[in-house]
Amino acid sequence: MLSSAELAIVLLSLKVAACCVCVLLLPAIGMAWVLARKRFWGHALLDALVHLPMVLPPVVLGYMLLVLLGRRGWIGERLYEQFHIQLTFHWWGAVIASAVMAFPLMVRAIRQALVQVDPLLEQAAQTLGATPLKVFFTISLPLAYHGVLTGAILAFSRSLGEFGATITFAGNLEGETRTLPLAIYSLTQSPDGDAAALRLVVLSILVSVIALLVSQWLEQRLLRRQQ
Amino acid sequence: MKKWLWLSLCLISLCAQAEEKKVRIFAAASLTDVMNVLIKQYGQQTGEQLVPVYGGSGTLAKQLEQGAPGDLFISADEKWMQYLKDKQLVQAASIKPWLSNRLVMVTPLAKPMSIRTEPSTDIRQQVPGYWCTGDTVSVPVGIYAKQSLMALGWWETLKGRLVSTQDVRATLRLVERDECDVGIVYASDAQSSSQVKVAGEFPENSHVPIVYPMALLPQAGAQANGFYRYLQSADAKKWLISFGFKPVFAD
Repeated sequence: MLSSAELAIVLLSLKVAACCVCVLLLPAIGMAWVLARKRFWGHALLDALVHLPMVLPPVVLGYMLLVLLGRRGWIGERLYEQFHIQLTFHWWGAVIASAVMAFPLMVRAIRQALVQVDPLLEQAAQTLGATPLKVFFTISLPLAYHGVLTGAILAFSRSLGEFGATITFAGNLEGETRTLPLAIYSLTQSPDGDAAALRLVVLSILVSVIALLVSQWLEQRLLRRQQ
Repeated sequence: MKKWLWLSLCLISLCAQAEEKKVRIFAAASLTDVMNVLIKQYGQQTGEQLVPVYGGSGTLAKQLEQGAPGDLFISADEKWMQYLKDKQLVQAASIKPWLSNRLVMVTPLAKPMSIRTEPSTDIRQQVPGYWCTGDTVSVPVGIYAKQSLMALGWWETLKGRLVSTQDVRATLRLVERDECDVGIVYASDAQSSSQVKVAGEFPENSHVPIVYPMALLPQAGAQANGFYRYLQSADAKKWLISFGFKPVFAD
């Protein structure tokens, strides 16, 4: 049913999306907590910065990543010279590109859940002698678990669909960075690629629907457990 | 509410009117620099404003197939011209071979190299990094490049580190930025950039001849016809040669 090339593309996309979620979890939880609980000068600015990837054209972000992390970029040059790491044309580049795009989605979801946690519960724990870190990991985070889950699934789906930043930063290298959207794009450009592109389009819809169904199932299970 | 509706309608009709008269030239990405100059020259001579649309020849052909408004199409290979001809989307009688070009390897300016285009060259040893060229299925420069790499027996070695770009200009940029170690582009592209150096030229018999055909599209009017004739003039020839192309038309 699936050719080995198609299977490889799907597996690569899933690998990139899964890594994207893993990479994002800690920073997103941290950022969500800062934005939800802390009040400081520059809060609005930080909030805007976090949301920037949602409104910027993906190709702009891809280009910024190239300038920063490319082999001759500000950071990328050091990475390459010291450790011989080149992110462009490597699947980790695709992970980074989609992680940048998905970051605000994840932060938003977790932050909304954190805001809904009753501060009295946290204060009660604190009066009983729990350190702020312990309060966060035993009270706030478990209560905001559904937000983390939603955020993770949103980020996963966003990563599956990421195109602009990926093709600009990570390039279009078969077997390495050619994820589903890039493969579909490549096929739509070739003379007799329409049928093959259509197969991948259907595949792409299937993968996304499955991701959404799994997310609903998880959420319902979670709700039942809470009740 | 009603007022806003009227206002937006007026704006839309204004835009529509402004759109109508533009003559659009759909040209392969490798023509970007020279076509900008030719359009400017033609504009100075006749006062006519033409709008260029650049991209990979395949991208442009697919856009035209989907009804993009264009008057003149210049492809970087004969395959995409044939594609539109088969679908009767170009004026068949107007198809003319216009230019020829050469296929070269370029490296970033800071890392000059000389690569001998012979089957005996140990390409795995000599150039270990990434190679860039247009998509080898759809972008003309990539299609030519694949033919040459196969003729030299390098294809299997390089396949896994060959990065596809949407057109030849994207390849050029990646080499300029030193993200790619080697790029396969046209000689005219190599000449257009001060940031890259030519590392070698592919033998002409290693790929099908590089021909840029041009053709008028069905809706082309007198203005497009005028430019079509200008492109085959002695003046145009002079510019094309100075940008590194080889005109194949008789003026």
